[in-house]
Amino acid sequence: MWYTPVLYCSARRKDILLPLILIVLLPFLGALLPGLMNKAGRNSSAWSAATITGAAFVGLLVHAPFVFAGGVIEWRMDWLPLIGMNFNLFLDGLGFLFASLILGMGLLIILYARFYLGREDPMGQFYTYLLLFQGAMVGIVLSDNILILLVFWELTSLSSFLLIGYWNHLPQGRQGARMALAVTGTGGLALVGGMLILGEIAGSYDLSVILQEKDLIQASPLYLPALLLILIGCFTKSAQFPFHFWLPHAMAAPTPVSAYLHSATMVKAGLFLMARLWPVLAGTPEWFYIVATTGLVTMVLGALIALFKDDLKALLAFSTVSHLGLITMLLGFGSPFAAVAAVFHIINHATFKAALFMVAGIIDHEAHTRDIKRLGGLMRLMPLTFLLATLGSLSMAGVPLLNGFLSKEMMLEEAARTPWLEWPWLVPALATAGSALSAAYSFRFIAHVFMGPQRHDYPAIPHDPPFGLWAAPAFLVALVIVIGIVPAAAAGGVVALAAGAVTGGSLPYYGLKIWHGFTPALYLSGIAMIGGLLLLATHGALDPIWQRLPRPEAKTIFDAVIRRCVAWSQAFTEVLHNGAMTRYAAVFFLTAGLCGAAAWVSGTSGPAIRRFLPAGFVPATAWLLVAVATAGMVAFHRNRLVALIFMGINGLIVSIAFAYLSAPDLALTQASVEVVTIILLLLALNFLPKETPRESGQARRMRDATLAVLVGLGAGLLTYAIQVTDFSQASISAYHLANSKPGGGGTNVVNVILVDFRGFDTFGEIIVLGIAALVIYALTEAIITGPVGHRLANRPPDTGEAGDVHPLMMVIATRVMMPIVLMVGVFIFLRGHNNPGGGFIAGLIIAIALIMQYMASGFEWAAARQRFPYHAIIAAGIFAALLTGMGSLFAGRPFLTSSYGYFKLPLIEQFELATALAFDVGVFLCVVGAVMLALESLSRLAHRSGERPSPYPMDIDPSREIVTEKA
Amino acid sequence: MNHLIAAPLLLPPLVGAVMIISMRHHIELARVFSVASIVALLGISAGLLVESGTGQIQSYLLGNWPAPFGIVLILDRLSALMVTLTAFLALPVVLYAIGTDWDRRGKHFHALLQFQLMGLFGAFLTGDIFNLFVFFEILLIASYGLMIHGAGKRRLQAGVQYVVYNLLGSTLFLFALGAIYGATGTLNMADLSVRVADMPQSDTALIRVAAVLLLLVFAVKAALMPLHFWLPATYEEAPAPVAALFAVMTKVGAYAILRVFTLIFGPSAAVTEGLVGPWLIIAAMVTLALGMTGVLGARSLGRIAAFSAIGSMGTLLIAVGLFTPQATTAALYYLIHSTLAGAALFLIVDQVRARREGIADHLVPGPPMAMNGLVAALFFAVAIGMAGMPPFSGFVGKLLVLTSAREHELVWLIWTVILTTSLMAVVGFARAGSLVFWKTTEGSAATLQSPPQNLALTSIGALVALVVLLTVSAGPVTQFLGATAAQIHDPAAYHEAVLQDHGGQPR
Amino acid sequence: MEYLFSSAVGMLTAGGVYLVLRLRTFPVILGISLLSYAVNLFLFASGRLALNLPPVWRGQETSYTDPLPQALVLTAIVISFGMTAVVVMLALGSYLTSRNDRIDMAADERTDRDHHTGAKR
Repeated sequence: MWYTPVLYCSARRKDILLPLILIVLLPFLGALLPGLMNKAGRNSSAWSAATITGAAFVGLLVHAPFVFAGGVIEWRMDWLPLIGMNFNLFLDGLGFLFASLILGMGLLIILYARFYLGREDPMGQFYTYLLLFQGAMVGIVLSDNILILLVFWELTSLSSFLLIGYWNHLPQGRQGARMALAVTGTGGLALVGGMLILGEIAGSYDLSVILQEKDLIQASPLYLPALLLILIGCFTKSAQFPFHFWLPHAMAAPTPVSAYLHSATMVKAGLFLMARLWPVLAGTPEWFYIVATTGLVTMVLGALIALFKDDLKALLAFSTVSHLGLITMLLGFGSPFAAVAAVFHIINHATFKAALFMVAGIIDHEAHTRDIKRLGGLMRLMPLTFLLATLGSLSMAGVPLLNGFLSKEMMLEEAARTPWLEWPWLVPALATAGSALSAAYSFRFIAHVFMGPQRHDYPAIPHDPPFGLWAAPAFLVALVIVIGIVPAAAAGGVVALAAGAVTGGSLPYYGLKIWHGFTPALYLSGIAMIGGLLLLATHGALDPIWQRLPRPEAKTIFDAVIRRCVAWSQAFTEVLHNGAMTRYAAVFFLTAGLCGAAAWVSGTSGPAIRRFLPAGFVPATAWLLVAVATAGMVAFHRNRLVALIFMGINGLIVSIAFAYLSAPDLALTQASVEVVTIILLLLALNFLPKETPRESGQARRMRDATLAVLVGLGAGLLTYAIQVTDFSQASISAYHLANSKPGGGGTNVVNVILVDFRGFDTFGEIIVLGIAALVIYALTEAIITGPVGHRLANRPPDTGEAGDVHPLMMVIATRVMMPIVLMVGVFIFLRGHNNPGGGFIAGLIIAIALIMQYMASGFEWAAARQRFPYHAIIAAGIFAALLTGMGSLFAGRPFLTSSYGYFKLPLIEQFELATALAFDVGVFLCVVGAVMLALESLSRLAHRSGERPSPYPMDIDPSREIVTEKA
Repeated sequence: MNHLIAAPLLLPPLVGAVMIISMRHHIELARVFSVASIVALLGISAGLLVESGTGQIQSYLLGNWPAPFGIVLILDRLSALMVTLTAFLALPVVLYAIGTDWDRRGKHFHALLQFQLMGLFGAFLTGDIFNLFVFFEILLIASYGLMIHGAGKRRLQAGVQYVVYNLLGSTLFLFALGAIYGATGTLNMADLSVRVADMPQSDTALIRVAAVLLLLVFAVKAALMPLHFWLPATYEEAPAPVAALFAVMTKVGAYAILRVFTLIFGPSAAVTEGLVGPWLIIAAMVTLALGMTGVLGARSLGRIAAFSAIGSMGTLLIAVGLFTPQATTAALYYLIHSTLAGAALFLIVDQVRARREGIADHLVPGPPMAMNGLVAALFFAVAIGMAGMPPFSGFVGKLLVLTSAREHELVWLIWTVILTTSLMAVVGFARAGSLVFWKTTEGSAATLQSPPQNLALTSIGALVALVVLLTVSAGPVTQFLGATAAQIHDPAAYHEAVLQDHGGQPR
Repeated sequence: MEYLFSSAVGMLTAGGVYLVLRLRTFPVILGISLLSYAVNLFLFASGRLALNLPPVWRGQETSYTDPLPQALVLTAIVISFGMTAVVVMLALGSYLTSRNDRIDMAADERTDRDHHTGAKR
């Protein structure tokens, strides 16, 4: 039945160069390396990170030929077969595109970050987080199992939380990180729900299965909820309106993080998932109107906001939002051509946007500011940076010969033929507007930062960065140009491959080329260009207007919501759990009462079958006394001494009741326990206030009284209910009666049950007593040695009401009684097995006798004459019981098997009791030890608290008088 | 008869007694014995786990009296699992107590710990309902002692409340037992199960009351709303290692519910049908919501730990309340997870308290802590676990619970509650973490020189490692748990194993 | 007889509940003791009441009182005694340390320093 992990490779690919799992695991396994290497210096840290990423990248590339040949590589391992959550990975075109984006870009970022991060930044930590994130991303794009995908999805949220909060000394860093986590976390949880439903419909959590079930899924009534939940996940991750607001605040992260997470990878995860599920989710009106519309709105809105941002990174952030919207819209169109365009733009956006982020980082790094208003005229100061920035921005603007242009053309072309409801012009119009805005802020990036006159008030004199910083963006810009000029050659293969994976094979006709002739798209982008230039020209005029426009500040709203939630939860929790024990108890009683009542009324009660006993004079008086005593306790509970006396009466009646109802053992036990308890409470009362103040008001007392009456009623009725019915089947105690003498070797069945049939209960019970004593001892120690001890020490001793501390009569009496009591104890103990009595009662009696000594002659005197360490007595008791019980183990019988019946000797009468008696000795010792230790602790407190006992055991002592006369 | 079954109930009291008599003043000696005993118990429990793996339910007749007349111990997969979990938790806890000198701050820590373990083991192993009461009392009174270990104003106040509340619970337990015996005339669980099954439909009220009262008693232990009020103050004020050990105390309640309400008052029992299931689930959902609300609105890490314990019990009891084998599997997996993660959380909170003189674990920025990075990393890992985020077992457990709720009519409600509360937990933990570990005031080096506490940190690391192990080996673990669940939901096998004649007395 | 007995259990319970709901520890402890009387009687009664029947086996009686509940009650009495002892001492300790015997806790003013772990030392 033992578990064997299934691990095989797809039939679609026999030979396997490098298992996919390694590509996913490498970053995770290697994550700690940079952290460790950091000790060896920043370079080695960076190198280790680069090596790991490079290795993973190579691992990916070796599969390229096969994938480009249209193959799919699978790798499967069972993880949690019970719910079909298995480590199934597969590498197809789409996965390949994203994986290479993630790893390739990762390498560039590692290089860039090495030179970007300052001396004081812990670089190892940075690379560790980065690799964790990288692994999670690769995991997402290679998952075949959507539950595994969820795991990686949430991991990206968590690792990005760490990356964004990397500079956690900055409040923006902390808040940005928390906001990102909250938003993407919400999406992640929605996604969990959506994926579960999706798997529910398709009957499997494996994408390779789900992707075959288009009709089944789209026909299902659960399609819409699943779609909505999944889309919430994607939109939050890809910063789609209205969840876009977290992205700009995530810019508090170091620029390499922004360049990596917020241009190329994490924000693309949402797009990836939409593309991944495109074959089964897309094509319905719901899909179109939700996805395309969201994308359209996001595109325009993002671009608009970006135009008026002065912080370079904020500008880029919102432009990212806008471009993500563009891609979302394309996916939303649901047409294969749009899908191609989407894939192509994913590549292009990754290249130019990452480059631009790095450039922004360079400017920040060199000029020590990212504020456009404080920049300008950098063209001559940093020509190289200018070149990179310009090419990147122009591509972002969609200028021909750069890759941005191509995908934008395709977008416009598709938009031009997409009607929205009955308005065919809406989508193209807005799309063009978006492109115009996009062009505008791109131009502004060039114009307001690099052009214009040089200034003399830069925070630092900017100059071109070292090679390490500009190498990465330069490489990306090179890609921008190459793809821009020879698209088909440079990217055609990848696009076809990925797009094919998205649409599931059949691709429409499309040409990745610069010149398509005079198409509507061309006119639209022409309009966009001109519009962009116009907007730039009028920016100076528009800006103040925009700044004056009232618009909701997402962050303040978000913070307010969170603060509101926290405050509310705080208030709610603290009102509910305010430490008022009395209320807790009231709730407890109420719950018990109500549930009990509900259970009773929902059931059926049979007829009363038992005849009742006659109630004579004794029970009647007892009842009356109980009534009086209880009422007395309630009425006079403020005077604690009086209440205690009433309680004593109650206890007495209870024991009498036991005796009257033929339970002599109980009667004896109850009586002796009662005595000890009362003594204990009296001694405690010696320290506690003697009065309870009147605190609870009328209403409160009424409430409590009502509750008390109801619960009491319940208890009474339950007792009554048991009396009228009989056991559903004969009680097991018949067996105990029958086997007590022959089996247990005792005629007092109660005692035999205690020490034999259910000896284990008794064993537990003496353990409880022992622990009680330990707890009390430990507590007393803590009090006496603690600060309280000193306060006790100089606490004014109570001036006792009674005249002499150790009254002569009492002393004499107790001393005389002592031996007698001891004998009684032994007698009770010995007769226990056959008649009422036994170890427990005997123990209590002896204990009481000893206490008498304490009370009469004082702690000093008694303690001096009574040298047993109570701890030892308790332990001895436990030992006695344990060893007696274990004796039977050696005879191969279970624990606590009484030895009766082992020896077939004539002297059986002596032997039969042997073990039971020994066990009872254990009980006896524990009881004595526990009770005495408890009371000793109390008297130690008393002793501590300055109750100096008189030096003499007796106050009046003839011998003493004589001595004094002589002197 | 397999005496190994009784071993977990004999070794701790033996060691405890030895400690009382001879090591009251030798803490080092007590430490050695304590650790040794726990290691031995680990071995024993492992043995029991293997034994139970055969699928054979074994019963141990104490005093060699035949069931149902004497008391029996039952070894099945469930009891073995719980015993093993407890032993696995006990070791890091005791090491932490030693590493931080918590055990020096009062008398008899280790003896009480031993008795505490005895009580827990007994509760898991016994097959007799009254004996279950006795062991509840043992583990409770030991827990009283441990909870107030080291005294202190608020701890003692919280202690009084804890004790009083549980005394009420014990009283209720006795009422329930009286009703049960009065109705059925037996105490042995297997025998009870048989007799309850044969009870006439004409007379069900009494046994229904008994069942409900019993459920309430266990609900108190399991901190099920509205009987959870004892928990926050107790867990927050208890000494850290004790609070960590208490992570398994709430599970005793869950265990008891699982045991009694599948075996005795299970879905098959006609007299108590419609009594538990739905109500339990609803109460559990409210509990979960309450807990995570507390996490979101907490003022200190201690509160967060306490309330996330409540929340995790909510999730656990939802799964328990479904009463299907698959849901029970999920419940058991989540039970193991929340025990380990919860314990680790309390220990980390203690580390924070130790490192932030004056402000302790309050959610206010303080000067940088000693070893901030390591403590923060541990907190991050455990927080992920408690919030049920990937990659740790919390997420796996949550997925198990979610999927196991699929057939239930409340599935949408359950999913919504679980997912929403996870979000609250995430936000709450993120808030707390960034306030305590990230947002630091100007560092006064004074707090930077607290001892490294390697042993303490190692024991926390061990718990985290166990969580990771639980995640990685989710497959085999769930397989065992699946078998366990199947066994739980097959009372017939239990009856057969317990009530068949083992040839004990009559002698 | 059963009427008297049941109502007595009811009275004791009611009294106990009322006292447990008081604001100071001492009455609460008294209340708990009352509750334990009540529950012991109840448990005892679960074997049904009987007059002048020995729980002692002489071999010739035809009817007995049910000895099992008696044994259970004995155990219960002992345990509840131990519990009472602990709670009394605990209440005492709490009173001595915090100088008041209220059972309700003030919301959240954690000031005592011993709360922090032994790590300080």
